[in-house]
Amino acid sequence: MLTDDQLFRLCRARERLREVSEPGQSVAEIACEAGLSPAHFIRRFAAVFGETPHQFRIRTRLESARRMLVLGERSVTSICMSVGFASLGSFSWRFAQRFGEPPSAYRRRLFPSVEIPGHLPAYLVPGCVTLMNAAWTAAPQFPRSADAR
Amino acid sequence: MRIRLNSVYVDDQSKALRFYTDVLGFVKSQEIPVGEFRWITVKSPEGGDAELSLEPNANPAAKTFQEALFSQGIPLTAFEVDDIRAEHQRLRALGVEFTTEPMQAGPVSIAVFADTCGNLIQIYQPPGG
Repeated sequence: MLTDDQLFRLCRARERLREVSEPGQSVAEIACEAGLSPAHFIRRFAAVFGETPHQFRIRTRLESARRMLVLGERSVTSICMSVGFASLGSFSWRFAQRFGEPPSAYRRRLFPSVEIPGHLPAYLVPGCVTLMNAAWTAAPQFPRSADAR
Repeated sequence: MRIRLNSVYVDDQSKALRFYTDVLGFVKSQEIPVGEFRWITVKSPEGGDAELSLEPNANPAAKTFQEALFSQGIPLTAFEVDDIRAEHQRLRALGVEFTTEPMQAGPVSIAVFADTCGNLIQIYQPPGG
């Protein structure tokens, strides 16, 4: 069972993994801070957050990069470095693997949808039922409730 | 007016769909692509009208809300079960981490677990259940 203290330590470790610092903290160092051995930390983190610390770190970096790419204020290389990737090659490869297209293509496709400079278009930051409205607009034939099936 | 829809914020919709179906045992009801995201709902195989939407937490306000509740140990929502001890055993065997083991809270029994998507979820067994 997870005690309040363990839960709090894991939350703090998650914060650490999100930070981009030079030199970056290793997973082993973060585990140590959480008071766990690396193996135990990785297992516990994955059981609570559904992905390993490394996977979490990569996913959050790619998601930050994706937002910056849409805003179009910085070069792809500068974004790659600022989210903590050391090489443009591995950044592009991981980005494409996760989102289905390389960073530059993603920017070309979505930058034109930015209407207010510096602000993401609303459909990239959906809130609750806005997504439902969009889904049913896109697929109006979809049954709206259980009794329609 | 009816209550047919509830939602939980999730940090990754694919991961969430796997956990809510493969582990919790709900069944997928709707899945409609909307740009970068999907409108996904699941429902209980045991019946009932309500569907649960797996909402992306892409909005920073959602993320802040979700993380604050989680780090304070507060469940985002609760699901009803018939036998809380059996459900606890089943989920434990599937690797689910509990922050509260089954316990009596007045007339109901409750337990709380992490849903692997950034939330704590409470399950409860109603009195006489």
